[in-house]
Amino acid sequence: MNRKETVDINILGQVCPACLLVALKEINTHHERLRKGEVEVVVRTDHRDATRTIPSSAEAMGYRVFVKRTENYYEIRITARQ
Amino acid sequence: MKVPDPISLQTENRHLKVLNKRYIQYIREKVNQLLEVMGTQPLKPEELDDETLLEFDPIGIVAGAFQQILEHLRQTNRELELARDELQAIFNATGVGISIIDSDFRIIRCNEKQRQMLVSEPSEDIRGRFCYEVYCYKDSPGLDCPAVETLATGRAVTLREVKKKDKYFQVVTTPLKDHEGRTKGVIEVLIDVTEKKKAEELMLRTEKMVSLGQMSAGIAHELNTPLGSILGYSRLLLKDKNLTEKQIEWLGIIAEQTKRCSRIIKGLLDFARLPEETPVGRCDVNCAINSAVELLKKEALKRKIRIETELNNVPIVRGSQSEIEQVFINILLNALQAIGKDGRVHIRTYNEDQMVVAEFKDTGPGIPESIRHRIFDPFFTTKPVGEGTGLGLSISSGIVNRIGGTIEVVNSPEEGSIFRVRLVADA
Ligand SMILES: Nc1ncnc2c1ncn2[C@@H]1O[C@H](COP(=O)(O)OP(=O)(O)OP(=O)(O)O)[C@@H](O)[C@H]1O
Ligand SMILES: [Mg+2]
Repeated sequence: MNRKETVDINILGQVCPACLLVALKEINTHHERLRKGEVEVVVRTDHRDATRTIPSSAEAMGYRVFVKRTENYYEIRITARQ
Repeated sequence: MKVPDPISLQTENRHLKVLNKRYIQYIREKVNQLLEVMGTQPLKPEELDDETLLEFDPIGIVAGAFQQILEHLRQTNRELELARDELQAIFNATGVGISIIDSDFRIIRCNEKQRQMLVSEPSEDIRGRFCYEVYCYKDSPGLDCPAVETLATGRAVTLREVKKKDKYFQVVTTPLKDHEGRTKGVIEVLIDVTEKKKAEELMLRTEKMVSLGQMSAGIAHELNTPLGSILGYSRLLLKDKNLTEKQIEWLGIIAEQTKRCSRIIKGLLDFARLPEETPVGRCDVNCAINSAVELLKKEALKRKIRIETELNNVPIVRGSQSEIEQVFINILLNALQAIGKDGRVHIRTYNEDQMVVAEFKDTGPGIPESIRHRIFDPFFTTKPVGEGTGLGLSISSGIVNRIGGTIEVVNSPEEGSIFRVRLVADA
């Protein structure tokens, strides 16, 4: 794995739109290091709608988003482009 | 100090609460509006009570997100602009002509090269005009037009060879499709294949000449000896004192015609001579033209044809003086014969890159397109039997090609033909 720092946000149990706001807040806080690729934000959620709203907002902001489904929740990984 | 009375305090308090509620309501509404823009549902009051709402600062969060969205858009725009400039530069720098044409055959865009190749007026705005008008000088799309086929079938089409403005082009059309896969236009790529075609033609001609040359050299050699005997014996016979007037005349014709045969054979032998037998010499082109003109002056006078010369200062070229003179005599004589009577031949020399050009322009009938590619073939002639053997130009092109030059023929825009002999300047 790479030496990237990971910011974990656990919002299991919360529902949209709060989920989105929490994720955006985290992205805002780290936005400079996130753009440089020094940090990535990983959101864990069990709310299905968040797997649509979070990636679409993060992509509009110019990030790359990967969504992974595990047994009990979704993992949304937000990183710099390229 | 006056103590406020509890009743009025209560009223004021109620009033403030109502106001406060309205402010919060306003904030919730605006937050929801922003959330909708972000593509999500409104916040429910039970999810977030009024106090946490303010503390959470959703408007601040969305504003921060918007800032990043804008930043990203600006960056994307910059990248798109750069990509567009790059694409435009490639579009214009490429060596092939590119046009984008819509389904009504209107030109949407074309690159610089396309303009240079097909548009006569460089500053002309051709956008929105019909491609068949601008490129093909027609008032409707041609039957063999590849763009018609591509628009109809949605497939790419290649037209191997099409002639425009004295040049040969290869045309490739590929469909331009919309989101639903329907053909909404064509991209037309035009490649100039004139040089390639010329090289191929020259190659073919050279091959033909080499084989013909070998054959004729053999025949010519075989014929020379018997012809020599005919000439010798007819001359011997002419010395006989007992011949009648008629017999003397007939013998004279035999001798004359035999000499003519010898000349043709000499021509064949010249033609068949291999390159390594002649060392490449140096030649003064203007000088060669003057001698050719001098030699044919009488013939021109007889035909009432004026020969004009416009000889410019040109460098010495590679090639033997007598051979190049021979070439000019052939071309000039052809011009006189083509004009027949009354006319003009204009001869001009000039520099062109590393070449010296000798140009012969006559006021004859020109050369029909249908035979233009054959006039350099050995024995091709349109002249009556006895007048032309059809060797003049094939011998000439043999001589010129051997020393790295070319002979080009075009019909003059006004009248007659133009022959251009290009010779290599001697370094
Ligand atoms: N200036 C010209 N104008 C029109 N036609 C020409 C001209 N020069 C050549 N031609 C055509 O090209 C043909 C071939 O020319 P070429 O010199 O090879 O042979 P020729 O003149 O017919 O015979 P030869 O030169 O052997 O006496 C001519 O018969 C004529 O039809
Ligand atoms: Mg001739």
